[in-house]
Amino acid sequence: MTNVVIAGFVRSPFTPASKGSLARVRPDEMAADVVRALIERTQINPEDIEDIIAGCAFPEAEQGLNVGRLIGLLADLPIAVAGATVNRFCGSSMYSIHMAAGAIKMGAGEAFVAVGVESMSRVPMGGYNPLPSPRLYAKNEAAYISMGETAENVAKRWRITRSAQEEFAVGSHRKAATAQRQGKLTNEIVPINTSAGICSLDECIRSDTTPEILAGLNPAFNAAGVVTAGTSSPLTDGTAAVLVCSENYAMRHGLAVSARIVSIAVAGCAPEIMGIGPVVAARKALARARLKAQNMDIIELNEAFSSQVLASIQDLNLDVTRINLDGGAIALGHPLGASGARITGKAAQLLEREGGKYALATQCIGGGQGIATVLEAV
Amino acid sequence: MDEKIQSVAIIGAGVMGASIAGHIASAGFPVLLLDLVKPDTPDRNAVARTAIDRLKTAQPSPLMSQRAARLITPGNIEDDLWKLAEYDWILEAVTEKIHVKKPLYDRIAEVRKPGSIVSSNTSTIPLSNLLLDVPSTLKPDFLITHFFNPPRYMRLLELVVSSHTRLESASRVSDFCDVALGKTVIRCKDTPGFVANRIGAYWLQTAAAFALHYGLRVEEADKIMGRPFGFPSTGIFGLMDLVGLDITTQVNESLARLLPAGDAFHEANRDLPTIRNLIAGGYLGKKGAGGFYRTREIGSGLLTETLCLTAASAGDLEWRPIRAPQYLKILESGQDIKDLLDAESVYGQYAWAVLGRLFAYSASLVGEISSDIATVDEAMRFGYAWAYGPFELIDRLGGTYVRKRLADLTLPVPKILADVGEGKFYKEDKGTLLYFGLDRAYQPVIRPPGVLLLQDIKRGKSPLITNESASVWDVGDGVLCFELHSPMNALDEDVLDLLEQAIGLASKGHVAMVIYSEDLRASPGHENFSVGANLGLAMFAANIRMWPKIEQLLAKGQRIYQLVRTAPFPVIGAPAGRALGGGCEMLLHCSAVQAHAECYIGLVEASVGLVPAWGGCAELLTRWRSDNKVPHGPMPATIRAFQIISTAKVSRSAEEARDQKFLQERDGITMNRHRVLGDAKAHALRLAPNYEPPSSSQPLQLPGRSGWISLTMAVEDFRKKGIATAHDVAILNHLAWILTGGDADLIEPVAQSAILDLEHQAFMKLIRLKKTQLRIKHVLDTGKPLRN
Repeated sequence: MTNVVIAGFVRSPFTPASKGSLARVRPDEMAADVVRALIERTQINPEDIEDIIAGCAFPEAEQGLNVGRLIGLLADLPIAVAGATVNRFCGSSMYSIHMAAGAIKMGAGEAFVAVGVESMSRVPMGGYNPLPSPRLYAKNEAAYISMGETAENVAKRWRITRSAQEEFAVGSHRKAATAQRQGKLTNEIVPINTSAGICSLDECIRSDTTPEILAGLNPAFNAAGVVTAGTSSPLTDGTAAVLVCSENYAMRHGLAVSARIVSIAVAGCAPEIMGIGPVVAARKALARARLKAQNMDIIELNEAFSSQVLASIQDLNLDVTRINLDGGAIALGHPLGASGARITGKAAQLLEREGGKYALATQCIGGGQGIATVLEAV
Repeated sequence: MDEKIQSVAIIGAGVMGASIAGHIASAGFPVLLLDLVKPDTPDRNAVARTAIDRLKTAQPSPLMSQRAARLITPGNIEDDLWKLAEYDWILEAVTEKIHVKKPLYDRIAEVRKPGSIVSSNTSTIPLSNLLLDVPSTLKPDFLITHFFNPPRYMRLLELVVSSHTRLESASRVSDFCDVALGKTVIRCKDTPGFVANRIGAYWLQTAAAFALHYGLRVEEADKIMGRPFGFPSTGIFGLMDLVGLDITTQVNESLARLLPAGDAFHEANRDLPTIRNLIAGGYLGKKGAGGFYRTREIGSGLLTETLCLTAASAGDLEWRPIRAPQYLKILESGQDIKDLLDAESVYGQYAWAVLGRLFAYSASLVGEISSDIATVDEAMRFGYAWAYGPFELIDRLGGTYVRKRLADLTLPVPKILADVGEGKFYKEDKGTLLYFGLDRAYQPVIRPPGVLLLQDIKRGKSPLITNESASVWDVGDGVLCFELHSPMNALDEDVLDLLEQAIGLASKGHVAMVIYSEDLRASPGHENFSVGANLGLAMFAANIRMWPKIEQLLAKGQRIYQLVRTAPFPVIGAPAGRALGGGCEMLLHCSAVQAHAECYIGLVEASVGLVPAWGGCAELLTRWRSDNKVPHGPMPATIRAFQIISTAKVSRSAEEARDQKFLQERDGITMNRHRVLGDAKAHALRLAPNYEPPSSSQPLQLPGRSGWISLTMAVEDFRKKGIATAHDVAILNHLAWILTGGDADLIEPVAQSAILDLEHQAFMKLIRLKKTQLRIKHVLDTGKPLRN
């Protein structure tokens, strides 16, 4: 039986779209810098890489064409290393990891780079040419529902109060700020060269935010609603990469393995409550691993919105103290295509750092889906 | 050595220095802005840099576009003075203290390049005094250039030269300020306060003192010393608040120090405890906690109060809610100012007490402060935004009347006022405007080369064709001028009919046409090229359900604007001020536009519940589609046009209008209002030889219903966020339908004519809606948009 492991995780700093340090950096070039650093840091022989699988939620313009292939060429990887692009919106680069894992299990390669990338400065959310199907729109308007509205729906249906959302958001910023201050984020970050200098720090974290500050914000999506910019993940630029390989390959080449992939899953849910996607996906993945949520020592639950995180915690009966130890997307930012690789890589890193047996990484996905990965310490 | 000025260095980054830098940068020239090094600050250019940053946020904006700020380089006088060697004009705008200015002049003399111009922006120190401290090598290139605040909006520039000043230096800076910066440059004699402030300060002091004398309230005095005489509506107390009571006092003190004994200013410059008490209380005017006016938050609204003058005089600073002045017809109509001056009421007595003295003082100064009356009138029009200078006001009243009534005030009649006798200060002779000279002979008013005013062309002539709303004039060299002159230049059937006739007329023997309007007495920012279609008429037709009439006018507008576009000769739009709605659409169909820099352009139909339907949607969409920098695909251009039209975005300058594509690369911008027509004519004559009208627009690839869904979803999100009302949604869904091509399919490009049809259909649906009609009525009644 071939085991699949995570043998490296790096990312760029995550910075606010349009006003952050990475706003003027091309996403394909930023992703190539991160892939190059992944290879240097893991010491993998690039000749052994089968494929680069790039996750991107709006793969067009500077992150368009087949950006996976272009990242490989930009990173000067051997010409024989292939490249693909995959889109599962926010789940894109976690799905890159799943695809790599599937291929390894099939014996269709031993080492893969799963990379995620999104410049929300340079390619708008929704893309440049949003053209919904009139037929689908007539049948199921929610197929195209805005993400903010789904957060409101979840808040309403799961009775998540505004203050609970704000408390969670403040906690996320606090954890992220502490991690940043203690240097816990330094090793995973690849400094990026920009025209204004080197960018090496996350820029979305608001270490000074308080419940009072957040309570003063206006609702962002519905005048009568409870979701604000403070309880939503910010539009972000960033990229993340994970080295996925067979356990056998890692052992043969002395690679530093962080975790083994135990199970994976994707699942659909109603688009208008897409934030609940982690519940359906995590249940499937946990069942496949024959584990329970209580067995999870480390949990990375992508924070698209406070409301959907709190609803997912409620339904999955998760232990809050084990979730997003270094902060989540509300504080760090959520470059759509890159977040999956970040939280899976992070879960593996935390298993190693904090000790423990199992970890869960899971996300909600626009359009009504969830994705989940269960990891095991090695 | 004496080439045109291409770069300017300004020393002193205070409000004036920085705002002048902003204006020069808006004109497209690089500026070096130097100030002191702030102690204990790591950034040695912090003072200048902060001043530049402030330009970006100040209101009204000193910059014509945010981009302009990038042309200003901050620096400091310790490290960067050597850089002055690279600049053509060095403008000193530091504090009004000679001991600060003198060492600077010495250092400038050491580093500047030969022939570069050095000027001071002093408003109070005579040139003769400054020259005592100016190194001799600097004297041939040294002069005073006095800008008015705010430099972007106030058109006056007072130029003072000495006997040492080289003619070339004076004309170089004068040309630059006129053509490049858009200033009306007047030559002043070297006397304290020059021209505008000398008279303006006297007027303010006199008017304030007599307001107290007659026991008027602040709002009463300002109402009288405002619109009726063509003074800005801020009046006198409002103006003092705007300028700052500290500054007003400084100017007065300086004039009092410098003017010879016996000057009437000394009598006017009475000690006013009211102002002293305000300053002592820390009330400096608008820039602080208030002054004569104060605005307070009351609940969710704002309450404006005025100072009780009598109480303040006694030391008690009290503000009371504004009370509308007692009704006086003249205050409303502003027509016959004699009615107000003759009124026996306290209002009438006050008005004449001030105006009579103003006239006498102004007339007594001609010859001393300027060489003629025309310069004085220009100074007050462009430096204080008066619609009429003192001599133009006297002409409106008649010299005999003024002389007679000066006797009421026991004031002597100044010589020039006696000399003019039964005549007027200005008259026309064979189409030429003449002014009454000191030598008692009438002299022609000479416009600077390149200035072409329609008022000069019209003098003594008749239009080629005309009706109530528009006229056509021959402006020479085969160029016709289509002049809009309906109220606010609103567009009605008369305008359209005459435009069609004008195109026919121009086709026979003329080479080009300019569309233009001229209201040079409008205060800065208040001129109208056209406010768009006449909504009153549209409302009338809608009220009596004359839908066919509206349809007919819509179709006619579309047809005639297409005639403008396809005319066999160039049609140049020459807007100044507001070009809104149909006025903007008119420009969009011109061969090119030569716009005044202060041009406020926008398709604002959505704010009255409608959509642009004279080709505005089609043309703006086409422009965005033709831009290679816009991302590919059917949606990006549609989205940009939708954002601009749906938010009724109005550009805040001509330069900014380029960002929305209301203006294009081919269009020109003229800084000087008086040169717009001349530049437009020159633009037309450049295009006329071998002119080919544009070929019919290429059909556009549009997204159709899929794109419409995308936009309507976004609009619905805005409604949920509370940004759009239900009626906004209705309007914008129609707009989205037009801009996505209706039922278009991606692979079947949509002809321009089909987009015009969509405009027409959407407009006719919207005008029938009650909520649209309410919006129109509200704008007509209040001048403000209704969000229903």
